[in-house]
Amino acid sequence: MSEAQHADAPHISEPLTWKQICERYPDEWVALVEIDWVNDTDFDFGTARVVGHDKKRSEQFEQARAWASRYSSMGHFFTGRSRASMPPLLFL
Amino acid sequence: MKVTRFDPGDNLIIVAARIWGPRADKQVSLALDTAASETHVIPEVLDELGYSPRQGEAVTIVRSAIGSEQGYMTRVSRFSALGFSCADFRIHVHDQPEGYGIAGLLGLSFLKQFNYEIRSVEGRIVDERAAS
Repeated sequence: MSEAQHADAPHISEPLTWKQICERYPDEWVALVEIDWVNDTDFDFGTARVVGHDKKRSEQFEQARAWASRYSSMGHFFTGRSRASMPPLLFL
Repeated sequence: MKVTRFDPGDNLIIVAARIWGPRADKQVSLALDTAASETHVIPEVLDELGYSPRQGEAVTIVRSAIGSEQGYMTRVSRFSALGFSCADFRIHVHDQPEGYGIAGLLGLSFLKQFNYEIRSVEGRIVDERAAS
């Protein structure tokens, strides 16, 4: 297999905590599988595996698509803080 | 009664939500927004779940201070947030700027089913389903 093929191959991380994910992929969108949720209310989990990550939201969805046949349940989150105040919305 | 914790130091009240579709289910972060009448989710999430604009009930336009955005309204098979779930839930599918770090807004279309209390300093939302 060529190096280019290696670089493009879908990658899955080892199980990581949210703190480890944020340290490894700061201010990025991440796609997570095998999320070990603590309960059904909070954003708290033990560990999860990363199957996609990028500064661009669309890119991590693209990377995660390679794992869609294996994982029907997936999470998509941003590791940084929200940076903008919300403008008011008006529905027409 | 359910208690949902959020980061009180964040710029927005961000909570986890889960959406089910024909192909998969997705967990995403939504900003709780009592000024939004509807619940909004970005198109990428609905696309990956197996929904399409062709299934949409209506084309919609959101106007804000930064411009207008066309999207569509659809119903998802199941939606959950704040410890409660509901079936056949209406969602407005619209893009959100990436810098917000969220996949949409949790609006009154979901929140109005509950009595809820936002304790901002403590970073807690206490909610219970309202008696019908």
